[in-house]
Amino acid sequence: MKKLIGLIIVFQLFFTCLLAQTALPPVDKSPMDMSYYPNNYPVLKIQDKITDELTARVVYSRPQKAGRPIFGGLVKYGEVWRMGANEATEIEFFKNVRIGGKKISKGRYTLYAIVNENSWTFIVNKETDTWGSFKYNVKRDVIRTDVIPQKMDAPVESLAMGFEKTQTGCNLVIAWDNIKVALPISF
Amino acid sequence: MKIIVPWSFLLLFLLSCDNKTAKENTTVDTKQKDTVSISKSENNVNPYAQNDISPMDMSYFPVDYPKLKMTKPTLNPPLARVVYSRPHLQGRELFHDVLKYGEPWRLGANEATELDLYSDATIQGKKIKAGRYILYCIPRQDKWDLVLNSNIDSWGLQQDPSLDIARFTIPVTKTANSLEFFTMVFLQSAAGADLIMAWDNVEAKLPISF
Repeated sequence: MKKLIGLIIVFQLFFTCLLAQTALPPVDKSPMDMSYYPNNYPVLKIQDKITDELTARVVYSRPQKAGRPIFGGLVKYGEVWRMGANEATEIEFFKNVRIGGKKISKGRYTLYAIVNENSWTFIVNKETDTWGSFKYNVKRDVIRTDVIPQKMDAPVESLAMGFEKTQTGCNLVIAWDNIKVALPISF
Repeated sequence: MKIIVPWSFLLLFLLSCDNKTAKENTTVDTKQKDTVSISKSENNVNPYAQNDISPMDMSYFPVDYPKLKMTKPTLNPPLARVVYSRPHLQGRELFHDVLKYGEPWRLGANEATELDLYSDATIQGKKIKAGRYILYCIPRQDKWDLVLNSNIDSWGLQQDPSLDIARFTIPVTKTANSLEFFTMVFLQSAAGADLIMAWDNVEAKLPISF
């Protein structure tokens, strides 16, 4: 009887641990990150150093190259890519902007890309809070625009996104492996 | 511990001198104790955006909403989402190596922890309108004060109580196992969801009804 009770306790502990593990997520292999425009906006905000108004934020996951060929390999040419890992990449505009000559109203969007060797097609899509590009729906597109990618000498290990100031607004710069691409945003 | 603190500051200083393109190239130490940089791998050298020692993560309610949506395209919109950074213990004890009782904590690292409510909610009898908020807490041994604040898109180190929207006192429980990484997740409850905040052997729970 004592043995039986002991066994039951061991099983209960086992299942409690199992439950605990399924409820609480482990740290992701492709960690999430965010970038603001203006750059470092949250830090500037607590330092009272804001000069330009909040315009955009990108929330994305950062897969690693890990020795693999990325563009044309892991990211297949001609297919819609979530530009990251896990949840599809989210871009939020805090005011109206223009991309590819078209107006985009302030709000949250999903950002995809179709990568080719000599051209990237960026897609701003209305379907937010979505996983990957598995259920990508062309009907929810807001705009598509083509950009020419640049080759870099030094490869970048983790997918990186950040904004850089331009004369007409900012570029969303995306860099991974030996490719860098800049999506112009004007406002 | 007394020896480690000055050394880690020196290490932080050296690391910040070493890297002019760091994400937070500012005069203020924007990292603070919850994100002490101990291990910097080669992977962290990235000219565009540094990999963070306390990676960001998000949790949705309904749980795993983006994945659910793949199988059910007609799913209703999500109810809530939390976006936070995940510092880890790295051999430290949460109390008092990392956090102190009675001192406000940003519930994560780096940017202030963000709670997005996509629908009006009720927390401890208070109506909270749908919208973006930040969360911070004041941990105590047997309970936490959890604060909902409107200073969104801010760095977590500085709390502005004049922008507080509501304060909730919530119980904490001790867990049998220690969690290395700070974790926030929603669990389904009868009335809506419990927002779980767990780190080391401490677990706090904020019930939300929708």
